[in-house]
Amino acid sequence: MSDTPVNAKQRRTFLGIILGAIGAVIAGAFSWPLFRFLSPIDKGGEAEQVRVDRQQIKVGDAHFFSYQGRPAVLLQPQAGEFVALSAVCTHLGCIVKWVDDSQEFLCPCHAGRFSTAGQVLGGPPPKPLTTYSVTIDGNDILIG
Amino acid sequence: MNLQKEAMDWLDRRLGVRELLHSNLGGYLLPRNTNIWYTLGAVLMAMFGLQFLTGILLLVYYVPDTEKAFASVTMIMNEVPYGWLLRYLHVVGSNLIMVFLLLHMLSVLFMGSYKRPRELTWLSGFIILNLGFVFCLTGYLLPWSQLSFWATTVATDASGAIPFIGDYLIEFLRGGPSVGEATLGRFFALHVMGLPMAFLGLVGFHLFCVRRIGVSSPPFGEHYRPTELTQSFHHEEHPGGVPFHPNYTIKELSMVFFALAALVAITFYAPWMFIPLDALEPADPFSTPEHIKPEWYFLWAYQTLKIFPSELLGLASQGAAMGFLAMLPFLDRSPERRPSKRPIFVTLYLLGILLVVGLSIWGHYS
Repeated sequence: MSDTPVNAKQRRTFLGIILGAIGAVIAGAFSWPLFRFLSPIDKGGEAEQVRVDRQQIKVGDAHFFSYQGRPAVLLQPQAGEFVALSAVCTHLGCIVKWVDDSQEFLCPCHAGRFSTAGQVLGGPPPKPLTTYSVTIDGNDILIG
Repeated sequence: MNLQKEAMDWLDRRLGVRELLHSNLGGYLLPRNTNIWYTLGAVLMAMFGLQFLTGILLLVYYVPDTEKAFASVTMIMNEVPYGWLLRYLHVVGSNLIMVFLLLHMLSVLFMGSYKRPRELTWLSGFIILNLGFVFCLTGYLLPWSQLSFWATTVATDASGAIPFIGDYLIEFLRGGPSVGEATLGRFFALHVMGLPMAFLGLVGFHLFCVRRIGVSSPPFGEHYRPTELTQSFHHEEHPGGVPFHPNYTIKELSMVFFALAALVAITFYAPWMFIPLDALEPADPFSTPEHIKPEWYFLWAYQTLKIFPSELLGLASQGAAMGFLAMLPFLDRSPERRPSKRPIFVTLYLLGILLVVGLSIWGHYS
């Protein structure tokens, strides 16, 4: 160990480095809680399956509902045939509308068109609507 | 090529930053004997910065609706990851800010730094202290707990003692005959927008005054002489003093870290100091909890209202005391700042502190 006395400037520089290091550690330690605080909360309440009363879906009609936090649609194109699709347009994420007259989906944002099976009929959408599995359970329809 | 130097040169050619930095950091000299009381301004700035940050983060989940506010705060505490940490930091931070504001004011009073030519610095600081009280009062209601609801009811009710306009003033403050949705709306708007904007403007003016007039010398030591007052503007220089940076900034930073350590220690080990049991129940306008008391920094005012035979007298005495403090630099015009040469002032100062502390303890146990 050197016996050279430490002058005020050296002490101040040392203190500055220590304070800077503590500050960096504090900032680092608090960045994780901050990130977790702002991250989406997994409430665990989003059901894997959604049950819809069969009576709500008329033939040729569409029923919009929420599936795992996103808009979805259930329709009955022909008697006894049920189709569940994501209602989010694959172009820019707008929600598609059901057009009763032409029995197809129309995206109001950029006129994308989809069939009852979710296939692209026209417009800018690059891919079909996502389909969900449908199971008939007595008087209910299970989606997902 | 030194990128840092190039960037500095570029800025310097356009904004003259080197001269600006030198005149405000290394070339800005402060008295050699400044003490830790001089760092309270920086501590307060850091604490206020943290309040802004935690406040904005709490806004992400808080819902200002009487039906949902308590549930949203409960969700922040129990469901949002680290929500409890941010809320406790905000609550404990607000209380520590009141402690530091009061200490800042007391140190300025003791050292006579409020005197001419620093009247405007004092006045803006005193208004900031009062803004701090209003910040706390408005923020207190937001969780919509039993404590929030009834503390606000009692606090707003006190204004009813003012003759002629009292009843109208209560309704005006509450936005209706009793504390409700309208009160929450206006207190929320004030707390998150109105007060912060006023606060930023006032702090800006306060710092401008401090920088423009110059830091006052501590009135201690055999070399101290009262500043000679001049009729024209005079910036107080400290030839042979220490540079603001790094000498003073390091000292300030050390004190800021001590304050943050106190904040974190209370937040982790004793946050219940500032969150009593009544704060854990949702507001019920039909059931007043027993022994409802204001926060510790309002206890002196609460007790004053109780000991006077009429509320009006109590309010008038509080108004007189606050008015006297606000106007102090215009009343106390002697240039002498040394406490040893101001025995009457120091006696009154100590008696004043004892009175406020005594009233607060009395209010707490009454």
